[in-house]
Amino acid sequence: MSLELIKDILLATVPLLVIFPSLFAFTTWMERKALARIQNRIGPNKIGIPCTRIGLFGLGQPAADGIKMIFKEDIVPRGADKLFHLLAPILALIPAMLILCFLPLEFPWGKFMSGQVQAFLLDSAVIFFFAISGLATLAIFMAGWASRNKYSLLGGMRAVAQMVSYEIPLVLSAVVVVMMAGSLNAKEIADVQTGFNWFVLTPWGLAAFIVFFVAALAETNRSPFDLPEAESEIIAGYFTEYSGFKFALFFLGEYIAMFAISGLAVTLFLGAGDGPFLAVAPWLSVVWFIAKIFGLIAVMIWLRGTLPRLRVDQLMAFAWKFLLPLSIFNILLAGMSHHVTVAYPGTTAQVVTWTVSLVGMYVMAKGLDKISRSTAKPREYLYAE
Amino acid sequence: MTQEITFWVLAVIAVLGALVAVRRRNLIHGVFALMIFFAALAGLFLLLLAEFIAAVQILVYIGAVGILLLFAIMLTERVTGDDARDITSRGSFWGWVAALAVLVFLLLPAIQSADLPQTTEPYNPSVKALGQQMMNPYVVTLEVLALLLTAALIGAVAASQGGEKKKEDADDA
Amino acid sequence: MTLENCLILGAVLFCIGLLGALTRRNAVVVLFSIEIMLNAANLNFIAFWRFSDNPAVLNGPLFTLFTIAVAAAEVAVGLALVIAVYRHFKTVDLEQLDTLKEE
Repeated sequence: MSLELIKDILLATVPLLVIFPSLFAFTTWMERKALARIQNRIGPNKIGIPCTRIGLFGLGQPAADGIKMIFKEDIVPRGADKLFHLLAPILALIPAMLILCFLPLEFPWGKFMSGQVQAFLLDSAVIFFFAISGLATLAIFMAGWASRNKYSLLGGMRAVAQMVSYEIPLVLSAVVVVMMAGSLNAKEIADVQTGFNWFVLTPWGLAAFIVFFVAALAETNRSPFDLPEAESEIIAGYFTEYSGFKFALFFLGEYIAMFAISGLAVTLFLGAGDGPFLAVAPWLSVVWFIAKIFGLIAVMIWLRGTLPRLRVDQLMAFAWKFLLPLSIFNILLAGMSHHVTVAYPGTTAQVVTWTVSLVGMYVMAKGLDKISRSTAKPREYLYAE
Repeated sequence: MTQEITFWVLAVIAVLGALVAVRRRNLIHGVFALMIFFAALAGLFLLLLAEFIAAVQILVYIGAVGILLLFAIMLTERVTGDDARDITSRGSFWGWVAALAVLVFLLLPAIQSADLPQTTEPYNPSVKALGQQMMNPYVVTLEVLALLLTAALIGAVAASQGGEKKKEDADDA
Repeated sequence: MTLENCLILGAVLFCIGLLGALTRRNAVVVLFSIEIMLNAANLNFIAFWRFSDNPAVLNGPLFTLFTIAVAAAEVAVGLALVIAVYRHFKTVDLEQLDTLKEE
């Protein structure tokens, strides 16, 4: 361990550990404010600078929440598996933090460090991202199982089933981009898209992006896919028995995972750090990257305020009967279009492939929608009217 | 030197994880120990510069096989995951003997110190090279594997719900 | 980290897997013992490839990839069978699943 290496490691990790948790604090405030506006409330607006009457639109709320969380009593149920009850929140946070380093965030001080410590330069960065983000599932199962609470277990099993199902369309829609870019390296995928060659601006890229975003919502247990924590059915799901700082860790892990998966969506489809004025100020790429992440987060918050929750059978039918065939068909279309444009270069071929792809995707989506609609009838009550 | 220490740490973690996985009474603990074992092995693959294999190891074993095992245990055991009965099978003595005998048998060549190659070439394979070799000499294997996975998928679905389904249909009729 | 150490580790892990498969009576544990054995074999593949004269020929990693795929298929089918057996006999205890044996 030379001093050089330690410096490199610090330069690579500390920015991530500073930027994303503070973004988390800001996002909780933003989410509460936005949801309040959607529901015609004001939202947090009291806590600003302590000992004064200055409210600052309630920007102090995250700090106050943090202090409250730390000082709350930590309760462990008597029957719980003590070790796993303790490990679960930690295991929920670690993978979420780890996958942040596979995002091609090019900080201005990147040129002072060797490429060795920049994980997004790995040859198979995207595969690593998916592999490690899958570990969050385990943490949720662990939390649900260790609590020895029926609601926790139900929530945990729901979460595991949901995350395993939605991981497949998530990965398959990323495959389209990997095929187009010809690389699993996050940096190379980002470089291919410079100059507004974003993958979202192609028909198959657009379809893949939509599938990816929907699957990402389910993967991070966001509304309308928040069945694992459906409070009207199973209290708070897998973290029913968590309080105090452990609960805060779950909360933090969930939001960091949201940032990470939005970051991957930005990398794969929205051109990573690509944007205007980069020639003048290269450091703007980080700003663009984080701004795009925030755009996606804003959409997530908006959806949360708007859409009702799905039923379990709808959730599973949607993943397996709609998203999965659609993303496989999308891969087929993307591969075909690629080969056609390579064989017949020119605008005509491109116009034809784009039209065919768009029409094909539309027809496929319509047809699948018709087939995959849940056949469940309205509930029939035995002992009630 | 760092490599050497990392290797031994990962080796110890792998052995302990595997031992706990096979001998622990609580099956859920066992599965998590198994996952630690898989993770340690992924670390060893990274150490041996097979970075893509390490990623696939985590993706498939921890992300998929581990979850499947957890589901199977939740479906077949009581919720606490404790194996309430005697966990060792009849004639487990002969199991120990056989396992130790195989160990000795496998280690004999090492004790005799066959002349194994000692040096490594610092060659880091790109994913591209892996893909190209998979397409050139191994394409038939790949196709057969795809077929096998499809067959396994259909077989798993059929085996796990085929029998039950008929009974339900009969009930309905 | 010599080839010798890797092979010894592989052998030890293989025997732990064998031990589990031979001495446990729960079908699920036997399945994951088999996984341990397969992983030990994978370690050997990778180690032999790393220390070979020509690592540019990627036989070791490719074999490992194929083993992982086969293992995944094996676990899926195996667990489906375990669940089917559980449905039928209400147990996954291998000692009690002896109806084929002559009484």
